[in-house]
Amino acid sequence: MKFYRSFIIFAIILSSSGCVTKFMPEIDESRELLVVEGLITDQPETNRIRLTKSMPLDKKATIKPIAGCIVSITDDLDNLWMLKDAGNGYYITDSTQFRGVAGRQYKLQIQSNGKIPNNYFYESLPMELKPVPPIDDLFYEKEIIEAETDERAAREGCTIYLNTRDYSGQCKYFRWEYTETWEVRVPYEIENKLCWATNKSSAIFIKNTGVLSENIVSRYPLNYISNETDRLEDKYSILVNQYSMNETEYEYWDKMQKISQQTGSLYDIIPASIQGNIYCVDDPSQKVLGFFSVSAKASRRIFIEDDFSGLVQLYNDCAISPPIPLGQPVPSLGKYVWIIVDGRMSIPPFIVYTDKKFCADCTTRGTKIKPAYWDEDKLNTK
Amino acid sequence: MKIKIFLFFLFGFIYINLTAQEQGRISWKAQEISFGDFVPEAEKSYKVKFFYKEEWIRNINASIPEGSFSLKEILDKVLTGTSVFYYADDRSNIILTLNFAIKDPMKHIDSEENKFIPSMDQGEAEDKGKTSDNMFVDVGNRADRNKPGSVALTGYITDRAKKQPVSGVTVYVLKESAGSISNEYGYYSITLPRGSHLIQYTFIGMKEKKISINLYGSGELNIEMNSMLIPIKETVISAEKNVMFQRFEVGMEKVNISSFKLLPSPMGEADIFKSVLLIPGVQSVGEGSSGFNVRGGSADQNLILLYGAPIYNASHFFGFFSAVNSEIIKDVTLYKGGIPARYGGRISSVMDIGSREGNRKEFAGKAGISPVTTQLMVEGPIIKDKLTYLLTGRTTYSNWVMHLFDNPSLKNSSASFYDLNGRVALDLNKNNKIDFSSYNSHDSFKFNSDTSYSYNNSIYALRWRHFFNSQFFSVFTVNNSTYNYDISSVENPEDAFLLSHKINSTGFKADFNWYQGRNEVNFGTDFSKYNVLPGSYLPEGDSSLVKPVTIEKEHAFETGAYIDDKFVVTDYFSINAGIRFSAYFTSGPKEVLVYEPSFPRSASTVIDTLNFASGDLYKTYGGPEFRVSLNFKVTSKSSLKINYNRTRQYIHLLTNSTSISPSDTWKLSDYYLKPEIGDQYAAGFYQDLLKGIEASVEIYYKKIQNAVDYKGGTKVVMNSTIEKDIVDVEGKSYGLELMLKKQEGRFLWSVGYTYSRALLKSLSDMSDEVINDGKWFPANYDKPNDLTITFNYLFSRRMSFSANYLWNTGRPITYPVATYSVGNHMLVYYSDRNKYRLPDYSRLDLALRYNGNLKSKRIAHPSWTFSIYNILGRENVYSVYFKQEGNVINGYKLSVFAQAIPSITYSFDF
Repeated sequence: MKFYRSFIIFAIILSSSGCVTKFMPEIDESRELLVVEGLITDQPETNRIRLTKSMPLDKKATIKPIAGCIVSITDDLDNLWMLKDAGNGYYITDSTQFRGVAGRQYKLQIQSNGKIPNNYFYESLPMELKPVPPIDDLFYEKEIIEAETDERAAREGCTIYLNTRDYSGQCKYFRWEYTETWEVRVPYEIENKLCWATNKSSAIFIKNTGVLSENIVSRYPLNYISNETDRLEDKYSILVNQYSMNETEYEYWDKMQKISQQTGSLYDIIPASIQGNIYCVDDPSQKVLGFFSVSAKASRRIFIEDDFSGLVQLYNDCAISPPIPLGQPVPSLGKYVWIIVDGRMSIPPFIVYTDKKFCADCTTRGTKIKPAYWDEDKLNTK
Repeated sequence: MKIKIFLFFLFGFIYINLTAQEQGRISWKAQEISFGDFVPEAEKSYKVKFFYKEEWIRNINASIPEGSFSLKEILDKVLTGTSVFYYADDRSNIILTLNFAIKDPMKHIDSEENKFIPSMDQGEAEDKGKTSDNMFVDVGNRADRNKPGSVALTGYITDRAKKQPVSGVTVYVLKESAGSISNEYGYYSITLPRGSHLIQYTFIGMKEKKISINLYGSGELNIEMNSMLIPIKETVISAEKNVMFQRFEVGMEKVNISSFKLLPSPMGEADIFKSVLLIPGVQSVGEGSSGFNVRGGSADQNLILLYGAPIYNASHFFGFFSAVNSEIIKDVTLYKGGIPARYGGRISSVMDIGSREGNRKEFAGKAGISPVTTQLMVEGPIIKDKLTYLLTGRTTYSNWVMHLFDNPSLKNSSASFYDLNGRVALDLNKNNKIDFSSYNSHDSFKFNSDTSYSYNNSIYALRWRHFFNSQFFSVFTVNNSTYNYDISSVENPEDAFLLSHKINSTGFKADFNWYQGRNEVNFGTDFSKYNVLPGSYLPEGDSSLVKPVTIEKEHAFETGAYIDDKFVVTDYFSINAGIRFSAYFTSGPKEVLVYEPSFPRSASTVIDTLNFASGDLYKTYGGPEFRVSLNFKVTSKSSLKINYNRTRQYIHLLTNSTSISPSDTWKLSDYYLKPEIGDQYAAGFYQDLLKGIEASVEIYYKKIQNAVDYKGGTKVVMNSTIEKDIVDVEGKSYGLELMLKKQEGRFLWSVGYTYSRALLKSLSDMSDEVINDGKWFPANYDKPNDLTITFNYLFSRRMSFSANYLWNTGRPITYPVATYSVGNHMLVYYSDRNKYRLPDYSRLDLALRYNGNLKSKRIAHPSWTFSIYNILGRENVYSVYFKQEGNVINGYKLSVFAQAIPSITYSFDF
């Protein structure tokens, strides 16, 4: 797919005339369908299933949860676990009661409450839980984005890679998700100066080792961090969850990945809705979106505290230019304009304002609550 | 009359009466000898020299009675009753002719005593500016002149300068409203009543020729024609005057090389596919897409023949260039409907690329340079008029161009292609001609990554044309065509792989043409063997952990036999009826999975495995294919044609994208995948208007059985069980094609408008195999309105200007209509398939062609072509796509040629 994208870029540059512009076609329909998302794992934790309705494309999406359904999980030994309606569309397992076991097959069952038309009964295909090996290695490598020149230092970013292996050969299909957290330090003496920002992966990371002679995932690139964020400025941490999948789930994500990687080329796969693993038993023509995942889970976290050259300084353009002279009325202080340097006590007194809120308040980008694990790396090494 | 006297003077043919030699009487003894033995004796006795071809006189015996005879007397005796005629000039040369007598045009044609040489070779006179001249020729044996019925006039038409056959010449007799067209070997056959006729030979780009004949019996008249513009060979848009009445096929289009060389193109390169897209009923899904769609058929339903062999990937560079160098093309015939019975194997169209033979007289060549490519063509005789060669090569220097841009990703990229064509043609003798042709093309790319792509085409073809007699001939062809691609990635040493796909076909074909009175009968047989490597996925390099996988090869045979007859029933009605039987056998070794019939095919519903041994013909398909055309002449200037044809297609291109992509794979029909069957009903009405303006209306309705579509997200590469991912669909398409064109004079123009639909419908009731609830939905290439205007103005012999304008409805597209999230992933739910459309497409292109020098003695004739593609700079939308950015789905539109693109091409003939 990368190839096609590059090709289009090539064609455009060659003709030096092509262009890509934002374009939102008028779409005069929207479909409200049942969306099921959920994951049960082999970990002693609360598993959540969420029932929502699909959302229109063009508007700012607000989740429409579906409450009041009866949700249960069964296995191939005829065990049954009822899930508790936790509100906001979530249905949760009791972690003391339910824990997935490798080799078992699980089914999700939903009895609708009438909010999704007609009290239909929905059921997933039986999904086998495959074991998962631990993550062998999670590491980063510096990337030189632009080499050093006489005028300028090199620009560096980094890529985070993952290695894993399963000599037992039981897990052939892997899926990963990550959560990255980093320190946000505003370089001004303000109240909300240090925060921790968090971002969850949104791309689909999957791998089929069935095509390899050895069950090895080597140097799988999970995340690329450019020099244009402040992630690498101070301290950065990434938690990767590795999930096992069965073939049905792999095929689902593989197709999703292909369809979501549209580049506008004529070689893009023709978009089509992809059938998940949940069907409406009472009316097979009813479409159900989403997927019920059954996975073993392994996690690993690393920290990055390194010197990277040529990082873009986010806070360089904070101050309003030209500066607002002292004593002048300041429009909507705290709404459009914020103080970043308060020099009223200095001689001569001065104030520096900003019109970018993130320059004056780190909570716009993160939380002031320090994550519990933040100093784990120090503890381990010392 | 002055003209003729002038001609005779020019050629030094001064007629004399044979009576001048009657004094020379020689005594003969009664004897019975062969004509071959008679000739040396007569030459010695009468002091003359005979000129003839050995095969004309092989069966003639001279029975000479005792006595003293003049040469005239003895020749009259010997040759009476044969179809050999003689003529004696003033230099004691006796020239024999077959089937026609050389006569004195200035005397009454019944005067048998006087025999003249008319100027059979009047070309140089024509160069002096005459458009036509009248000649009187006797054809057939005079003895037959009072026999009843019509007879056949046949012959070959050759280009005087190149000594090459000219196909597509209209042979027309106005008085009789009879006509015919020369075939690809320049051969024509026309049925006429005995008597005097004025025969017109017309071909665009050639001077019209009119010849008066006295037709006594069936005979041969070979014609040489002259190019209208010398040395500019390529300036006139092709047209077929009068041809519409005579053509038997509805929906046949012939594109002359000269027309498409003038078309503006984005890369400054003459491109056959771009010109084909100007034909009503032919469309493409977008700029730079490989392949084209004919009358609502998918791109793999077109049979593209080069040297009689199929080309499996007909484009370079993803469709920005056609894979065939235009220098080798003589003409291109596209059958959108009314596919003759001799073709089979694809259901939408046949595009037969007619290729040139080398110059028979002298060495010649051409070199060209455009912004992206350069090319060279050389041709000439090895043995004059007997053995010729033609070689072309074309390559690109886009690597160099790409590295000019200050863009690191382009500097890390490379893209190149080349193609080579060669042909050697040998005239063994008059009745046997052999040629061998080869074609090789190669493309390779690498785009800012360690993944590289390459693909190759190669074709080898041997053809033997054998003429049994002037009305019966045959063509035997053996060819081999291969297409393969390799994709390799070494980005990550453990995952480094080499992915390959290959299709190879070997074909044999025997075609026979038999002209008999009012019938032209074609019959023949063909046989093809296919070998397909669906895919292999192999480790690349020592550290690769990739497990080698090779999908089992596919083998199959396709065979066909056909016969058709073009029968001129009356002057107002003709019929072309044919039948083709085709059969297809898939051959083992093969492992076939059997699925639970009541469930969707998937890995979990396999219930059995069938193993077929090598050579087992485990699945057979086939059946008759009827091809019928009726041709009614309504008035002298209008005709109506009705046509039906059925075709079967046994090989398919698996493609899950809007356009053919370079990694799509060919698939043979197998245990599950049935051959596609296409039925087309078409009718056309053709009218000649004033001043060379022709109007035509064609309508068609087409039904396609056993077409395929795919389940969402299907992977077509390295898929050994495609039957799991296929959705059975049927197709229908219909359309109205209107065309108005003027193809004479200095202003040439055409306006074509098409309204057409191409629809598909899924047939299964399994939930994930139903598309749009099982209702008809538009195919990806369904573009209902299509307007094409071309314009060409010849300022002078040195300069011409051309323009074309295209407007059509945007192609259908599937848009997302809802979003939902699963985990952190924002996913989209799509509308019904192809429910929406891209904005309309429109484009205006201009080209100016300038020939530097017309002096024929100059060593090289340079020419410049300036063209501007998309001069209005319209941002035609190529595609619209959606990306998740953060938690929002954003739409983007992409335009490939969003500005006017100028280009200059320089070329010179030498």
